[in-house]
Amino acid sequence: MLHATELSKSYKSGKALHNFSIELKPGVISGLLGRNGAGKTTLFKILCGLITPDHGTVTVASRRPKPIGAVIEQPGLYGYLNAYENLKLFAQIQKAPADLKSVENYLESVGLPTDRKDPVRNFSMGMKQRLGIAIALLNDPEILILDEPFSGLDPTGVASLIKLIKKLAAQNIAILLSSHLMTELQKCCDYLYVIDNGFLVNKGETKKLLDGLISRYTITATNIETSRTLQPYLVAAEKNTASIKCSSEHIPAILQNVLEEGFAVTSCVPDITLEQLVIPLAQ
Amino acid sequence: MMIPLLKAELFKLFRESKTWYAITAVLLIEGIILTAAYYQGATILELLLDNLRQSFYFEGNLLNGNLLLYIILNSLWFNLPLILMIVSSALITEEYKNGTLKTVMLQAVSKGQLITAKYIASFIFTALILVLLMLTTFILAYSIFGNGDLVVYLGTLNFFPADEAFKRICFAFASGLLSMLFFTTVSLTLGILLKEPAKTWIASAFFLILCSLLLKADFGLPTVERFFFPKLTNAWQHFFDYELNMNSILIDNLLLAGYTAFFALLGIFLFTKKDIG
Repeated sequence: MLHATELSKSYKSGKALHNFSIELKPGVISGLLGRNGAGKTTLFKILCGLITPDHGTVTVASRRPKPIGAVIEQPGLYGYLNAYENLKLFAQIQKAPADLKSVENYLESVGLPTDRKDPVRNFSMGMKQRLGIAIALLNDPEILILDEPFSGLDPTGVASLIKLIKKLAAQNIAILLSSHLMTELQKCCDYLYVIDNGFLVNKGETKKLLDGLISRYTITATNIETSRTLQPYLVAAEKNTASIKCSSEHIPAILQNVLEEGFAVTSCVPDITLEQLVIPLAQ
Repeated sequence: MMIPLLKAELFKLFRESKTWYAITAVLLIEGIILTAAYYQGATILELLLDNLRQSFYFEGNLLNGNLLLYIILNSLWFNLPLILMIVSSALITEEYKNGTLKTVMLQAVSKGQLITAKYIASFIFTALILVLLMLTTFILAYSIFGNGDLVVYLGTLNFFPADEAFKRICFAFASGLLSMLFFTTVSLTLGILLKEPAKTWIASAFFLILCSLLLKADFGLPTVERFFFPKLTNAWQHFFDYELNMNSILIDNLLLAGYTAFFALLGIFLFTKKDIG
């Protein structure tokens, strides 16, 4: 659906992107993981046609008037207009349906209230993100690109946005989102690209990529630090939290034993750092 | 696609509070001038024309609607273009600042059409403000001060009978509109170049001051004196020369329209070539 090959871009301050290639497929959620300043936004701007690459090509197989919908950096909204007026204005300029029913449908599709009449400058970041996505979805694009969609959101906002992203992917939209935080991408992405200093340093199906690298897990439960099962694997423990070192194949059995010991496990989070993902291809 | 874009630009322009602040400022300036004229104008005029009254007969009161219209027209030198330049440049700089330009360019919208719509919106706004200024001044000046002969000092004192004065004032407003369009077009082009609102305001004010200084400067070169754009921005003032040279005024206005088109095309070219970073 979208094929970008060997994209490069330089600014006065240096080279932001080096021969980066990426592919997006319908219904697949792809994640772009990288530190701040790694080149994520530059890549997104090139994919959306906002900036021209020095080298490389972007091919989009689509006949729609707007093949790509995107929210780059912060959602750019007219703060003095309300959500309905913002959507209507963006719909009108591209001749997308802008009648009351259509605009309300767009608002509902991203979980925004249709009866809120105050200017969007009063909205929370989560609501602005949702409105930004609604605008990006105008004219039914086949690809949705979201740059750092989770930044500034509280945990409830993150969970609800992940749910929305999954819902959109189920409608066969190809989705690409970026983050510098592993946890969020891990929760929703089918495929991961890792970028560092403008280079593609790792890529693969999220599960395969992470399973091969995860060697530590943080388990949370009341008094979990006293678990006998965990003692051989324990690397650090605090009140109600234990950090263990083991391979991903062993984790189901370890958890089963912990539950049998009578601990009510509330979470088991794999500990993986961005550095771990950067190393394999760099080596 | 142009009409929806133009409608959107005008909708945004008139929903922005700064547009209404600008309109209020223009009307306040007009109100202040009229109020000052009402309380002090007669005294000042009597002092200026005391000697002349002994030699000439003036029909009616010289502090009349036509004189007030001429005084308001003089706000075309600086006050009005400055306010219009701030509002016009904001059509693009505010969009850069708030990131809305990026959102617009991520829609199925052409860059060329978007920026052309902004220039046309700026033209419409400028024309509306000038028409508003003209109409309100006509109504207020004539209803408060009445009609009468116009006396204007342009190196020498020029006198125009009331009917002739009215015609010349109407033509001057029309010519002044071209001058205002030139300044607002330049400010929008500066906005495309500089992107930031504050930098663009400073550059626009600098451009306006520079034009005023160059207008007065004598370059000693006939071609520069005739065709350099600062020399053309006061074409409206020539409607108050005693000997009306319509041909020269027409050429000045056509040249200024040409410069306006040049700056607009330059802005459109730069915008379409530049990345939206």
